Amino acid sequence: MRPFLVATLVLLLAAAGASAQSSAERVLAATLENGLRVLLQEDHRSPVVSFQMWYRVGSRNEARGATGIAHFLEHMMFKGTPTYGQGQFARLVEQNGGQDNAFTSQDVTSYYVNIAADKIDLVIELEADRMHNLKLDAKDIASEREVVIEERRTRTEDDPGGFLGEEVGAIAFRSHPYGPPIIGFMEDIKRITPEEIRAFYKAYYMPNNAILVAAGDFKAAEVLAKIRAKFGKIPRGTPPPPVLAVEPPQNGERRVIVSKQAQLPIVYLGYHVPNQKSGDAFGLEMLSSILSEGRASRLYKRLVYQRQIALEAGGDYNYFSQDPNLFWFWATPMPGQTPESMEKALLAEMETLKTEPVTEEELQRAKNQVEAAFVFQEDSVHRRASLLARFELIGGYADKDRFVERLRAVTAADVQRVARTYFSDDKKNVGVLLPRP
Amino acid sequence: MRPRRLPALLVVLALLLAASAGAAKPIAHREVLPNGIVLLVAERPAIPIVVVRTFAHAGAVLDPPDRAGLANLTGALLTRGTAKHSGPELDSAIEFVGGSLSAGAARDGLTASLSVLKKDVGLGLDLLAEVLLTPTFPDDELKRKAAQIQAAIKRSEEDPGTVAGRALAKLVFPSHPYGVPVEGTVESVGKLTRDDVVRFHRGYVRPDTTIIAVVGAVTVDEARREIVARFGGWKAPAEPPPTVSSVTPGATPQTQVIEKELTQATILLGRQAIRQTDPDYFPLTVGSYVLGGGSASRLYSRVREEGGLAYAVYSYANPARYGASFIVSAQTRTAEVPKVVEIMREELARMTREPVTERELKLAKDYLIGSFPLRLDTTSKVADFIVAVEEQGLGLDYADRYKERVAKVTAADVQRVAAKYFAPDTFNRVVVGAPKP
Repeated sequence: MRPFLVATLVLLLAAAGASAQSSAERVLAATLENGLRVLLQEDHRSPVVSFQMWYRVGSRNEARGATGIAHFLEHMMFKGTPTYGQGQFARLVEQNGGQDNAFTSQDVTSYYVNIAADKIDLVIELEADRMHNLKLDAKDIASEREVVIEERRTRTEDDPGGFLGEEVGAIAFRSHPYGPPIIGFMEDIKRITPEEIRAFYKAYYMPNNAILVAAGDFKAAEVLAKIRAKFGKIPRGTPPPPVLAVEPPQNGERRVIVSKQAQLPIVYLGYHVPNQKSGDAFGLEMLSSILSEGRASRLYKRLVYQRQIALEAGGDYNYFSQDPNLFWFWATPMPGQTPESMEKALLAEMETLKTEPVTEEELQRAKNQVEAAFVFQEDSVHRRASLLARFELIGGYADKDRFVERLRAVTAADVQRVARTYFSDDKKNVGVLLPRP
Repeated sequence: MRPRRLPALLVVLALLLAASAGAAKPIAHREVLPNGIVLLVAERPAIPIVVVRTFAHAGAVLDPPDRAGLANLTGALLTRGTAKHSGPELDSAIEFVGGSLSAGAARDGLTASLSVLKKDVGLGLDLLAEVLLTPTFPDDELKRKAAQIQAAIKRSEEDPGTVAGRALAKLVFPSHPYGVPVEGTVESVGKLTRDDVVRFHRGYVRPDTTIIAVVGAVTVDEARREIVARFGGWKAPAEPPPTVSSVTPGATPQTQVIEKELTQATILLGRQAIRQTDPDYFPLTVGSYVLGGGSASRLYSRVREEGGLAYAVYSYANPARYGASFIVSAQTRTAEVPKVVEIMREELARMTREPVTERELKLAKDYLIGSFPLRLDTTSKVADFIVAVEEQGLGLDYADRYKERVAKVTAADVQRVAAKYFAPDTFNRVVVGAPKP
């Protein structure tokens, strides 16, 4: 090959690369006539696509006595339609080299298929089909019920952390459905009837209650046309009932102590905090990073590293929560330490946050970490698509671009103020697991 | 982000590389540096991040028999102090730029991982070189880390999967280091001294057994320059690298029941198998997929879909450098253990008795081949993959050869290999849970 031609080719490639990168920043957003929200992001680095359906339904939408129904239904979404019978969904995805899974949270039920980009038509067909045509056969429900019960045993009955978490949720929420576990109480999983599952499916699975997000190696306009062709036929449904419950203020400390076969104690603390609709959300988000992101973070450095009283310790804020939720702290004491001393140490850290501003270095580090994490997320089409969906669920995908900017504006005084406002000693929810040999 | 013009020099380099690359673009550039380091570079220019993995043949297989956990402790201490920086200083430096630097050992090797934004790659590589070449292993850090490892071992006794896995490894590899936990035991870790760690690092973390993979927004030339500048002067010790013997055939299969107060039992069946360098590995992989690989597999269908007996059930081959195992696993309610074990044994036997159907064979092959792009769709996955193929001596064209080999597998091959490796009576069995419902 003559050098001149090679040079031209490389320059062309470089130009193509540059334009691919800038277009990758763009999102094609559309709302179909039936209300389905569609977000498509081109990303041509690998010949793959992440295709995700996010339904606005989770354990938050469940009634007392039917906890776990959203998650149960998630399992049933893989059990077939009249067109694609039992096992067909998984078989077709696998046959085409794809990987699929799903999860249910308090707020959403999310399904994804990651697959070679040229197989996207198949996924569009399958997801459109099961949005509207699920069989929900009584026999399938009966056998899947046993599977869900086994899942609960793994996650809750036989897992000390899951077991304690469920107890703390139960004391922290009196009115709001964030109290019961996502997987549901065992009694409810055993009781829920096929009729209830069918009614739940009908009430929440509809185009106007879903977000379709895809990122990957495709042409967005072409994919949108295909989505329109398959999903456009599904009728708009009656909008699901809103969740009205508002958790009343907490009037005093609540505490639960459980005893279970385990090796080490666990301490959880939960404080009621606002969600992203509050201006304090960014301060809380920063606080969460300062407390737990990395080995230089405050709880790790002080409790695990310097004082050596904890095997692990951290704090977590859920910025994306649909309704106000808990700011969680957790710690596992080192052998020889008691849960009482562990709780005291956590509370002492909170007192410090209230009385002394965090250092400029801590604040700057947390900001840099969040900013870098956003860049690292871009590396995976799966995470790219998920992040778009998460922002869309709380108001709009475009907020993603302003998120880092808003975090950058948080000051040490903001962090101190949110700590003082929300980590009040008489409003804590405490869970302690005492190990039984 | 502002568009930047490519510096002229880089364009010239790109020309040279493009010209030498030829038609089929290899997954990574490979070269051996004068001191023996194998340098692998894969360019992924679109996102401004760089991931570096180093792998030294300094895994737990080299632990002296009375020093189980030595490689693990050495790995964990690399980031806990160098000639220039204390552990907390290293943590602060890398986390301040939103990056991460970690190190740890597994069975076959000791890995250090760096993830940084492109702009911080110089700083990141400086720190990476420090932790590999000039760790100081301070006494107080060793005491602290050993106590944390001991506490983590103690806590892991709560996790039935970990308990079962440890017990099974001991049965499958009774006279090989693979039968000993990488992290050691509470007792063995308590005996480790600074001298042990210093000697292990000096003898085994050495350039002539080290692989360095650089993946991301970096060119081959940049990567070479930066790596040579920091690792070029690293000299191997005079004594030759250690040799490790491969596993010897397992003893008579055993059954072990470990009683725990749990509502669910974890069942593991396992035996020795073969690694990728054995031509039978490909039929084994296909056979394992038919048996318990995906949601259409025989075990998944019978145990989960039809029986509702488990949430998780699967089989897999687990190859390593000096040996391999084949595992079948499920978790089920205590009362159903005999039934699930019986199904596992029946299905293993059926694989040896009759050929898999053409439909099953095609599904397995289509999935294994078609899902390959998903194994390489992020910077970290590419880094993991190229290190693994280099470390296991599979060659950088392994992805292509894997697909070819899998495509050639016949139903007769699967049955022949199943006869060798799936006979149910050749499996060890571990059950962790309550002895009676």
